[in-house]
Amino acid sequence: MVKKGQSKRQPWVKNLYSNREYPDNYTDASFLKDLRTNLHCRIYTFGEAIAGITVLNNQISCITGFLILYQLMLSDSVSPTTILVPSCGITGIGYLCYRGRSLSWALLGEDSKTLVTVVLFGYLFSPMLHTLTQAISTDTIYTMTFFVLLGNLIFGHYGLDVAMVSKAVSLNAAIFGAICLASRLPTSYHAFVLLVEAAVFFVLYPIMTEANWHAGFMVPIFSMCCMALYCISRPVLYLYASTTIFINFVCPFIFVWQQQYKFNIHGPWDEAIVEENTEENLDGNL
Amino acid sequence: MRICMVSDFFYPSIGGVEEHVYNLSQMLLSLGHKIVVLTHAYGDCSGIRYVTGYLKVYYLPIKVCYNQCILPTAVCNVPMLRAVLLRERVEVVHGHSAFSALAHEALMVGSLLGLKTVFTDHSLFGFADLSAALTNNLLEVNLGMVNHAICVSHIGKENTVLRARVAKNRVSVIPNAVDTALFTPDPQQRPSNDIINIVVASRLVYRKGIDLLAGIIPRFKNTPNINFIIVGDGPKRDLLEEIREKTNMQERVHMVGAVEHNKVRDFLVRGHIFLNTSLTEAYCMAIVEAASCGLQVVSTSVGGIPEVLPKSLILLAEPEIDAIYAAILIAIDRHRKSSFKVSPPVANGHLPSEANGKAKRRRRRKTDTPTSPTQLPASSAPPADQNSPAEPVMCPYRCNELVETLYNWEDVALRTVKVYDRVSNERSFTTSELVFAVWQHGSWFLVFFVVAHFLMRLLELWRPRNRVELAQDVQRPVS
Repeated sequence: MVKKGQSKRQPWVKNLYSNREYPDNYTDASFLKDLRTNLHCRIYTFGEAIAGITVLNNQISCITGFLILYQLMLSDSVSPTTILVPSCGITGIGYLCYRGRSLSWALLGEDSKTLVTVVLFGYLFSPMLHTLTQAISTDTIYTMTFFVLLGNLIFGHYGLDVAMVSKAVSLNAAIFGAICLASRLPTSYHAFVLLVEAAVFFVLYPIMTEANWHAGFMVPIFSMCCMALYCISRPVLYLYASTTIFINFVCPFIFVWQQQYKFNIHGPWDEAIVEENTEENLDGNL
Repeated sequence: MRICMVSDFFYPSIGGVEEHVYNLSQMLLSLGHKIVVLTHAYGDCSGIRYVTGYLKVYYLPIKVCYNQCILPTAVCNVPMLRAVLLRERVEVVHGHSAFSALAHEALMVGSLLGLKTVFTDHSLFGFADLSAALTNNLLEVNLGMVNHAICVSHIGKENTVLRARVAKNRVSVIPNAVDTALFTPDPQQRPSNDIINIVVASRLVYRKGIDLLAGIIPRFKNTPNINFIIVGDGPKRDLLEEIREKTNMQERVHMVGAVEHNKVRDFLVRGHIFLNTSLTEAYCMAIVEAASCGLQVVSTSVGGIPEVLPKSLILLAEPEIDAIYAAILIAIDRHRKSSFKVSPPVANGHLPSEANGKAKRRRRRKTDTPTSPTQLPASSAPPADQNSPAEPVMCPYRCNELVETLYNWEDVALRTVKVYDRVSNERSFTTSELVFAVWQHGSWFLVFFVVAHFLMRLLELWRPRNRVELAQDVQRPVS
């Protein structure tokens, strides 16, 4: 389209009102010179990826641990009290660690009030919760539990602020799963213990780990789950262990390997980013 | 030539695309082409209507899904679109706006019918988020089936070439224009005392940078004689009202609300400075309209804005509060320094009472000067330091004349006709070429494409092409 040999032409300028001598579909040599790629891209190392994925694995182990306790109670190999007492002890230690220096009598009073309320009401309502889903067939219960616990995994908060994440949905799914399972246990005391365990595994333990997570925290819960599964069922142990290892090592490897394909385009057409005025920062900006 | 403009956006909706389609159609009509506009029904506004200048508009009875767009089903409206295109004996289908699902569908139907297709892209897109990635893929598929694409700025062309992977020589840059006869200056409307009015005219939404504006207004809290006129409405209006209240500037910040497009000039002429804070913009008609009304434009330097106006008409700033504030101060300084006496040259036709541009347009017709200048008047002048306040502000009437030399719809229409001529000399796509194009750009779309193709074959049997009743052309009265 561009005719060569037109020597007297004025140089092409990047504006919309000059360049009368050029055809409209003329493409200048300066085309796309402002294109930038991978401006704000962060390339993760293999170590970072492995350490990061442990958060998800921890949640999977959490669910596994909870289901192990359920299985132990269902098969009557362990009495509910043997589960309740150690977990109360561990919770107490965990509480002290969590509060640490900031612990004071007033704070302790506040927290124990909450604890008493929850435990008391849990105990009062456990007969009702125990029979709530009793009429539903066991297969339905297990299927439903599978899906709600999967929901717990999907909506869980792993430190990313995206639209999918909802702590409320995630927690409610887990508690709902616990209530479903509680109806399969023999007594309402069993059901109460299961709900307490649900609270420990899905509420308190995540609070603890979220505050200061370290990839090494994965090791104790993983080995405990493995030991328990070794006694309960070998196939499940292999499944659990291989899943964890796959997620923890193979997935990060794929992720790191795929990073070479990162191709993020930036240019003058990008929307400028300005701080949005919200209720909070409005007064500060004035 | 018989051309069909397709877009979801047309009157009674108001915006940049609507105006572009309307003005371009009017100009092409007056150049002797036959134009049909296709859009979806707007509430009561449905059926076939004629608007100004016997422009025929089909308001197709299709339900609106989201944001004035129809549900993008790709195949559901094929029979209707085919009927219209055949009835009107269309030769070129011209779709507008990447957001318009109707335009994409009509372009597909057009290319299946063997017609020539042209697409105008009016917007810029990022590449970062999921919705942009999806839209870009759809656009890529559709532009694969289009003979020629038109963008409104060079940035737009870069953007379109990148995101739709079209060949560079298949994309033309044809800017928008402004009817300078409608946007004439009227300095008598400006406050006679020492007050300087800053006008803002845009929808009050995030993309127009209203958050920046909300940061700028409080800076003038202690500067008397600076007033704001804010034209437009939107979700961010509450924010501006809150700012106004908190800074005690109720008297000085005039919130007008939504205004019809033909009334915007009444507010523009009252100001000295026009402020545009958009965060992204392919062309930005608002600044051209303001410059045409003789205002000193201050704008963020984003997207295609730096290409639009010469340095003598615009002060560019980075999209940050401090930079824009500094640019406004320079503009104010220029106004205070220059303080020219405005005396509209009566002999020139610029009578103060001339509210609408009829007289001016008549004059333009009469003289019939070639409206495309070979060189810009300002470009010959030595490049002055852009940000020096010493440079005087330009006379509003000079501004208007300058803008008129830069942009007018006649020029846009002539350049668009060149594109039409070009595509009509091209061979139209064969079905196998189309299938290959779709396969290359997004094979998932083949599902829809194949359905549409067989639907067309079926319709060919059911309602053969030669049996379609042709529409009567209304004879345009010679003016």
